[in-house]
Amino acid sequence: MTAVTRRDLIRAGLAGAVGAALPPLWRGTALAAESPGPVLVVVELAGGNDGLNTIVPYRDDAYHRARPEIGLASEALLRVDDHFGFHPRLLGLRNLWEQQRVAIVHGCGYPNPTRSHFSAMAWWHTAVPGAAEPFGWLGRMADARWPDGRPDTLVNVASQESLAVRSARHAPIVFRDPRAFARLGDPAAGEIYDAMTRSRPGGETTANLAFLRDIARTAERSAATVREATARYETPIRYGSDAATLAVDLRNVAALLDADFPARVYYTSMSGFDTHAAQPSSQQLLLMYLGDALEAFFADVDRIGRGDEVLVLVFTEFGRRVAENQSGGTDHGTATPIWLLGRGVRPGFHGAFPSLADLDAGDLRMTTDFRRVYASVLSEWMGVGDVAGLLRGSFQPLGLRAAS
Amino acid sequence: MARLPVIAAAIAASASLLAGPASATTSWQDDLSPIAADEWNAERAAHLLARAGFGGTPEEIEKLAAMEPEAAVRKLVRWQDQPNAPLAPFLPSQVFPSDDFVPPLDGDLERIVFRSILFRGGLGVDVRWNFSEPFLQPLFDQFFYLLFANFAEMTRVAHWQAERMLLSERPLEEKLALFWHDHFATSNEKVRDYRKMMRQWDLYREKGNGHFRELLLGICRDPAMLVYLDGQRNVRGEPNENFAREIMELFTLGVGNYTEADVKEAARAFTGWGLDDNDFDRSFWRHDHGRKTVLGRTGRLDGDDVVDAILEQPAAARFLAAKLYRWFVREDASPETVEALAASFRESDYDVGALLERVFLSRDFYSDASVGAHIQSPVELMVSTYRKLGLREIPGAPYFATTAGAMGEQLYMPPNVAGWPGGRTWINPSTLMLRQNFARHVLFPQEIPPPEKSLMETVVVAVVGPDIYEQMKRMAAAGDRSHAPTMSMQDMGFARVQEANSEAFNLAWAVYNGAEKAVGAIRFDFPPPARFSLREMLAGAGVRDVDAAVDHLTGRFLRLPPRQSDRRALVGHLRELSGGDDLDLDDPQTEKHLREVLHLILSMPEYQLT
Repeated sequence: MTAVTRRDLIRAGLAGAVGAALPPLWRGTALAAESPGPVLVVVELAGGNDGLNTIVPYRDDAYHRARPEIGLASEALLRVDDHFGFHPRLLGLRNLWEQQRVAIVHGCGYPNPTRSHFSAMAWWHTAVPGAAEPFGWLGRMADARWPDGRPDTLVNVASQESLAVRSARHAPIVFRDPRAFARLGDPAAGEIYDAMTRSRPGGETTANLAFLRDIARTAERSAATVREATARYETPIRYGSDAATLAVDLRNVAALLDADFPARVYYTSMSGFDTHAAQPSSQQLLLMYLGDALEAFFADVDRIGRGDEVLVLVFTEFGRRVAENQSGGTDHGTATPIWLLGRGVRPGFHGAFPSLADLDAGDLRMTTDFRRVYASVLSEWMGVGDVAGLLRGSFQPLGLRAAS
Repeated sequence: MARLPVIAAAIAASASLLAGPASATTSWQDDLSPIAADEWNAERAAHLLARAGFGGTPEEIEKLAAMEPEAAVRKLVRWQDQPNAPLAPFLPSQVFPSDDFVPPLDGDLERIVFRSILFRGGLGVDVRWNFSEPFLQPLFDQFFYLLFANFAEMTRVAHWQAERMLLSERPLEEKLALFWHDHFATSNEKVRDYRKMMRQWDLYREKGNGHFRELLLGICRDPAMLVYLDGQRNVRGEPNENFAREIMELFTLGVGNYTEADVKEAARAFTGWGLDDNDFDRSFWRHDHGRKTVLGRTGRLDGDDVVDAILEQPAAARFLAAKLYRWFVREDASPETVEALAASFRESDYDVGALLERVFLSRDFYSDASVGAHIQSPVELMVSTYRKLGLREIPGAPYFATTAGAMGEQLYMPPNVAGWPGGRTWINPSTLMLRQNFARHVLFPQEIPPPEKSLMETVVVAVVGPDIYEQMKRMAAAGDRSHAPTMSMQDMGFARVQEANSEAFNLAWAVYNGAEKAVGAIRFDFPPPARFSLREMLAGAGVRDVDAAVDHLTGRFLRLPPRQSDRRALVGHLRELSGGDDLDLDDPQTEKHLREVLHLILSMPEYQLT
């Protein structure tokens, strides 16, 4: 038997790489012709952000009565019209509002809301409340748009894959620390591995083996792109405190956009919003981080010329109760505003603000089903045809995209 | 357009490769007749042990192969007849103040505070009025302690549970428990009591291979489930439909086989089925004794009647047979196969063991479509790796619970009530690398990086942020254990917060104190990293040269044979490392070389399959 050296193998691998350039079976073939489309960046506020102290109905006496301790004084607010003011620390959001880049949909929810963080978040992730849908709404979006699979479409900046991006036909790129997104091992063996992975597909006895080979082939390249793009990215824009994980995450998203990474969805999450006690001090810090990071992110994507493509959706799994509790905080509630940010949005407030006089056992009654916002994102930006099929029900889009 | 012919040629080439040579085992697909004794061999025994358990060493596989196929399957499925060397009981850390202590749930804190003020002694700590310091502080400390300690203890349970999977001589007992955990998915994230989660698994071990009705009746009374799907909140006049919906949608019938009215009526039938402390309790007064109609059955129904009404539906047998088949055999179940299995399942009065015996003996189970078709879950991957290495304990590093969790399967923490979707969703570029890096760390434990942060720091920073953690650490080090802020709030890292108030301090301080107490309370008694010798393994198998070494390792670890080009690459690498065809199994350097090659094998796409 003739000896095969490592060098032979690497050479063979390079030849195999030509084969790898062919589209694998499960992949679409029209990618090259596709024009760049909108990029959706989701910011999940985990824990249940208190919407009433975020977008404050300062004219409403019932607001001040319900919150004698933690209510925000009208004069302190960043007032944007005759009815509503932003939390004083949301300077970033106010600046974007003045640039006509913010749409806020009041009172979003769904029938029979749950107070469990876990269930509520899962339902926002799947967009099928009360049911156990195994795939996320963004995963299903990718499957609907690119039924044959499209590599590197979904990016989840997290240490674990979110249900929101879980997909039947797409493998999301998941990382929190880009430096740790790497295969470990001895470099010499690594070369052998690369050659084995790149070599021409063949002999796959099962569809799952073909799938695994395909992922293995693209994983190294995706990871290397993510590591290099984020490591070399330099920007004069300041994202605010690095104590805010969102600042770091959005900066990494900007780095990938700058590197022309082909993702269409970037999913990020920021935690700490479960403010049962001492809400004012913790929430104002979180909102400051949030607003600053968003403002910086838009300044950055403008700078790199991608500002027109980016749509940001900010949501949380539930709002909080109208009345404050005895610990200077608020407990789990129901309806909550959703923010959409970007150049393409129809700026301003949308939907009806829930009444503070007509409550449901102390909770806001939702005025807009959150799936209508999803329906807008899916149909008005992401080009999904059968939105009702995707959302498992018919939800009228809200017309949140400005006529261009 | 120029690309099209190239693509067409590629597809044609791939299709011909996929078709492969015709063999007996291709035609076995969807053939449910049992395999004959002379068709039974080590390859098939290995496949059986991989699916009905967590794989094994060549010696274990040989033992199974030496039996008749019926006897081999029976030994696995009817584990009650199988002697089992006693497995070590779980040694708890004593997280809770007492055995009957009821841990607080999400959203309970307000109620607890009120009760503590009125009756004293909430959460196992005594709280008294005190004007000089925040008197509720011990209560908040305790709340966070219970939260952190329970989650940490659950990871110890996961480690212990993995060791059962590793050592049990009844591997299907543990594998089926994992199946039921996925099927009746219940999360400690909401239950917040590791003891309830363990009791649920005891139920799976006791009734997992018996008649499904018994198991389902047990689940309806299971304390973890009663918390998880709000059964304890389901009372007369205010029905909570959570459990009633899932028992039909996810546990027995599937969407489309019941109506919304059935859900509403079933919820009424289950009213009053709740908990007294931590145990199942049926409350006469909270139960709705009125007439209900569920799935066509009318009367003063209770939960047991609902279970019977459900199991009368032909859809139940179909739903369960299909789910078991997809989990244990392969995902693409043909309607005919499911129908045939469902019919016998129903005739056997839902005997899960009988169904599994039929499946594991069928030619379909050993067909090319089934062997190597299953993507291993992270838990399957980790346990089977250890079993194939012949380990007798789960290594302490990499830590089982968090490593499997990072790969997407943290035991006792399914993503939602639907369980883990499994299959290809286990794999993305990151999880594939984590799987390969897991193998790396098993083979080269000295490369496991020391944790950047202590557990304490990890927990506290995640909740209050790095600045406040540092300040609190300094304060604790200075011996200041008072429950009131003694430094100015500005010094304490709250400087950025204009309206910093003592509540914010107290809460952060409770997180710090709670985490510190939890870290102190948990028994960190984990064994060292894996100890094994590939040189001894190969010497025992009579291996002397690089070709035989690669063949032994691929045969032992892969269910599908490697491609010739991959085999050549592996042999070539080992030869280059050893400087020739001969292996010197007395040379310690050889161990390192073998581990490098094994890391390559465990990094192959084939290794994710079984």
